[in-house]
Amino acid sequence: MNREKHKAPGPSEADAMNDPRLGAARKRLAESRGQEDAIDGVREIVANFLGSEELGLFRVDRRSTTFPVFWSFGIDLEEYDLLRALGNAGLERVMRGECHVELAAGEHAGEMGRARAFVPIRSANQTIAILAILRLLPQKLDFDRADMELFKLLSDEAAKALFGPGAYDAGADSQAVTEGPGLGV
Amino acid sequence: MTKKILVVDDSKTALMMEREILERRTTYQCVTASDGREAVEKAQQERPDLVLMDVVMPHMNGFEACKMMRQQASTREIPIVLVTTRGEEAYMEAGFQSGCNDYITKPIDSAELVALLQSYLGE
Repeated sequence: MNREKHKAPGPSEADAMNDPRLGAARKRLAESRGQEDAIDGVREIVANFLGSEELGLFRVDRRSTTFPVFWSFGIDLEEYDLLRALGNAGLERVMRGECHVELAAGEHAGEMGRARAFVPIRSANQTIAILAILRLLPQKLDFDRADMELFKLLSDEAAKALFGPGAYDAGADSQAVTEGPGLGV
Repeated sequence: MTKKILVVDDSKTALMMEREILERRTTYQCVTASDGREAVEKAQQERPDLVLMDVVMPHMNGFEACKMMRQQASTREIPIVLVTTRGEEAYMEAGFQSGCNDYITKPIDSAELVALLQSYLGE
């Protein structure tokens, strides 16, 4: 399967302008008080706005090119193989800062037959963590175009809330993973 | 006269979005509570025209709060719309048994929510 086609479809301008979820999500992240509250915020945004209660956050360890589980909700990710789930192309895309989205049906359908998304959490133009949204609630059939704008907001604005303003400097060095060879898939 | 909605959710994020929808897309006034117990108190104090309430909350869940509001004369007639992440029929049946008027499931679609509120309150 050609994973290139999993690149997320872009949101329309009208979606972005009319989506009250964006204002609420932005405000929630900005008003987070500490890491625990920010994690709650991300969980609430994903549950309430995207319709998933199975998600997790992987840190990017730049030195060892590994992706340790930082936090998960509704699913045990200790044995989860992020690299296998994303594939080479998907991982490269996420490390470049693009979302990797698999839809349940249609042109962007993934191999799993259900929707899932991997959202790069960015700081200083680096992917410092990956938010994995792994299963939608039964009443939410698939991601839609408006969800893509929410992914972008999480990608751009969650790092500061989750890891503080110096997130990139504080973490260990995604340079090796971003630019180096052997992503290890 | 401006219609008043009591929005109840323990999630700050959900409250922010519901407030955002009401402020942007309706003329309804919004008051909030963060659990069932506070909702029962606020409903008595504020006498809202409608209650939009989450089900899973600490202290007192949405079903219990709904039952209590139905037992009190001052809140008995207020329309109550429950918000839940679970769409299963059995779960919704429990909601109606508690006395709610309607249900909406998360993730909330703003157009669907506004249409539902307008069906009770008018535009």
